[in-house]
Amino acid sequence: MTTFLALAISGLVFGCVYALTASGLVVTYVTSGIFNFAHGAIGMVAAFTFWQLHIAWGWPAPVAFLVVLLVLAPLLGAVVERILVRPLYGAPIGVTLVATLGLLVTLLGLAFLVWPPDTTRVLPRFFAGHTVTVFSLVIDWNQLLVIAAAVTVAVSLRLFFSRSRLGIAMRAVVDDPELAALAGTKPERVSQLSWAMGSSLAALAGILLAPLVTLNVTDLTLLVINGYAAAMIGRLRNLPATVGGALLIGFLNQQAVGYAPPWFNDYVSPAIPMILLFLAVLFIKGERLRAGSLQGLRMPRPPSLQRSLLSGAAFVLVAGVVGSQLSPANLAIGGQGMVLGVVMLSLVLLSGYGGQVSLCQLTFAGLGAYAMAKAGGGLGGLALAALLPAAAGALVAVTVVRLRGLFLALATLAFAQAMDKIFFLHALGSGSSLEVPRPSLPGIDLQDDRVFFAFLAAVFALAAVGVLALRRRAFGRRLIALNDSPAASATMGVSATSTRLVVMALSAAIAGVGGALLGGLHGSISNNDFLLLNSCVLLLLATLGGLFSPTGAFLAAMSYALFPKFQELFPDLGQVQFLFTGLGVLALGRNRYGIGGQLADAGEKLRALRVSRVREVARAAG
Amino acid sequence: MLQVDRVEVRFGGVQALKGVTLDVPEGAVVGLIGPNGAGKTTLFNVITGLERPSAGRVLLSGEDVTGLAPHLRARKGLGRTFQRIEVFSSLTVHENVLAAAEARRSWSRDDADPGRTASDLLERVGLLEIEHERVDRLPTGLLRLVEVARALASQPRLLLLDEPGSGLDTTESEALGDLLVELVADGSRSILLVEHDVELVMRVSSHLHVLDFGAIIASGAPEQVQQDPAVQAAYLGTSAA
Ligand SMILES: Nc1ncnc2c1ncn2[C@@H]1O[C@H](COP(=O)(O)OP(=O)(O)OP(=O)(O)O)[C@@H](O)[C@H]1O
Ligand SMILES: [Mg+2]
Repeated sequence: MTTFLALAISGLVFGCVYALTASGLVVTYVTSGIFNFAHGAIGMVAAFTFWQLHIAWGWPAPVAFLVVLLVLAPLLGAVVERILVRPLYGAPIGVTLVATLGLLVTLLGLAFLVWPPDTTRVLPRFFAGHTVTVFSLVIDWNQLLVIAAAVTVAVSLRLFFSRSRLGIAMRAVVDDPELAALAGTKPERVSQLSWAMGSSLAALAGILLAPLVTLNVTDLTLLVINGYAAAMIGRLRNLPATVGGALLIGFLNQQAVGYAPPWFNDYVSPAIPMILLFLAVLFIKGERLRAGSLQGLRMPRPPSLQRSLLSGAAFVLVAGVVGSQLSPANLAIGGQGMVLGVVMLSLVLLSGYGGQVSLCQLTFAGLGAYAMAKAGGGLGGLALAALLPAAAGALVAVTVVRLRGLFLALATLAFAQAMDKIFFLHALGSGSSLEVPRPSLPGIDLQDDRVFFAFLAAVFALAAVGVLALRRRAFGRRLIALNDSPAASATMGVSATSTRLVVMALSAAIAGVGGALLGGLHGSISNNDFLLLNSCVLLLLATLGGLFSPTGAFLAAMSYALFPKFQELFPDLGQVQFLFTGLGVLALGRNRYGIGGQLADAGEKLRALRVSRVREVARAAG
Repeated sequence: MLQVDRVEVRFGGVQALKGVTLDVPEGAVVGLIGPNGAGKTTLFNVITGLERPSAGRVLLSGEDVTGLAPHLRARKGLGRTFQRIEVFSSLTVHENVLAAAEARRSWSRDDADPGRTASDLLERVGLLEIEHERVDRLPTGLLRLVEVARALASQPRLLLLDEPGSGLDTTESEALGDLLVELVADGSRSILLVEHDVELVMRVSSHLHVLDFGAIIASGAPEQVQQDPAVQAAYLGTSAA
């Protein structure tokens, strides 16, 4: 009984923290209509800032606490709203998602830069040493503080939204922005306020969470992300349900620690919030088909089969020549670019053509590598490396098939994070690693690094030609039609369900092959290769490169592969992959074509110019 | 062919359809007219399954399809165009129609060459010359014709057209009228036509329904409906004003 109560208290404490972060998320989402994926990172940055003020600079805790909570965090939220979010109102979900993910990654990069992970930082518990005892149960003041904070916030939010003019105005904006504008409320102001509030709540959660765990950039971010599950239980709009969900998550998590069998705590417990997130997303009503959702994206035309075959052959040839000259270290980097290119191509298919967001492409890649390792190599292994992820992809697709946009992104986020905790951590071993053999081809020595490099180039070229061929065929047209206008596709008798299922499985298979070859390239893989945050970076880079063309995918993959080199050049820049990617994406703004798209556009303009020249000349001659 | 039976739809406080009942017989063009906001598009959405009615039924060839998903209704021979253009903007004119022909091949036993079908249809609506243009560069009037061709590529037995004539000039809309008459001539197809161009509707429809504030206020032969005082007050009155 005492254990139960003690665990209930600690569960309550974690639940309160989740309730804070989730409430912040809900407040920003309902008011501005934009889901802030960077919410967790804001909490993390706030906790570090608090550490900086309080521990490093010796400010008294209450002062530092209030400064972060009431000045810095709201300011950050307001600035983010003004600069990043405001231009995005009314933009399609793909754009807002990429933008806030970009912010997430930027904040991670900045945190790594300012607070390098080589020193350990500790935030002591608030009021350390003070405890109260209730019925032989020892509760420390830190826990009381968390509970008090959560109750205060819950009550104030309730009063704010029901009593204050501003709060009522905020609710009005949610219901009808135009009407609210007529009544003299500026929607931008209100939504800016909601971002400031959300940011402040994230900060509060981060600061309260940090003493309970360790002060670590990624861990803390992901912990705050656990609160997303609670927000989802409240369907992103209902605050009481959100708080209830948060308490449930905290309760289940802590009781599991006390009562569940060890295997459960090893495998499942850490993933409980993500499992709940996934389940909660499943209860979301599917988006109704709606006419008038036209996106007006202009995808570049795919080249003809002949042209893409020629380009592919040229690519392999050049890669072979380049590969024969590279140093072993650079060969590995180049190879890394090739295999990541294959994974990126899976995103071209899924997100570029199919318009579906996935934050779990590296999870599929990891499954591919795992299958390859278990199969012991060979072409059969490669086939298995495609099949296992394809099955997983189909499974995910079946469960989330009604979902699009934001909810699909959240479901894939939960899947990636849960797989990380449940599967990769154990199957690939944290710290240790799993050996992955290379495939073998008769008469070709793929164990030779240069030969393998050329092989990888050939695989990338083949995959690129394949993806482009698919784009030109009936399936590609169906995919694009479904993306451009789901309503019109339905009136042609196209089943969105089966089409999405197929493309998800196919894309997972491609990613799986990429993962298997990635393992083969380095000889082994570890669980750190397939983390959720890396999947985010991958998606963002793919977007930066332009999701519609293999060229863009290749450029994006090569820059990903080159990050270690940049890191060598700028050792003091923290984790460059986060910073560079994030800043790049933020600069992208509303542009959805990326660099590859710009190139294709320039090419098309050039061609149009030439054609009109030819016509002019012909007219002059005739 | 189509029976709409006491269909009701409400959006919050607005009752967009109040017990609408109408029939589309086989081999006919039936006109559906009414002032802006009368509920015509909403009715189309109910028939095609994009909108769930709060009451009432939709029957296709006698079969109740009220609970059926839009793509399954399409496979039962229901096609439509949209008032707010819904073309596939990343594809060419030809590919837009091709995609529909290919979709049809995938769910029917018909294995006619989709490429041929697409080109034939584009010739029929007079867009063959620009079939390789990207649709995002075309004016609205032509996009409506792309939608008509695309809808025909599914070979629907009932075609719902939502203001196909808006954005067309006189010659184009005359050609469209001819096409519609031609389409139903062999008796195998029906058309339900929503159109503000009264002349066009009068010319091609054999039967007319007038919708006003979500209710059918008159039905009958075109000339007869035109004379109806209620219609003149509600519809022709407002358009004359
Ligand atoms: N999704 C929706 N949500 C709320 N109200 C809607 C929605 N769709 C339509 N309405 C309302 O329902 C009524 C009927 O609209 P509908 O578009 O069906 O009219 P319509 O006859 O097609 O008009 P028009 O001639 O302008 O196309 C209008 O009052 C409209 O404002
Ligand atoms: Mg309408």
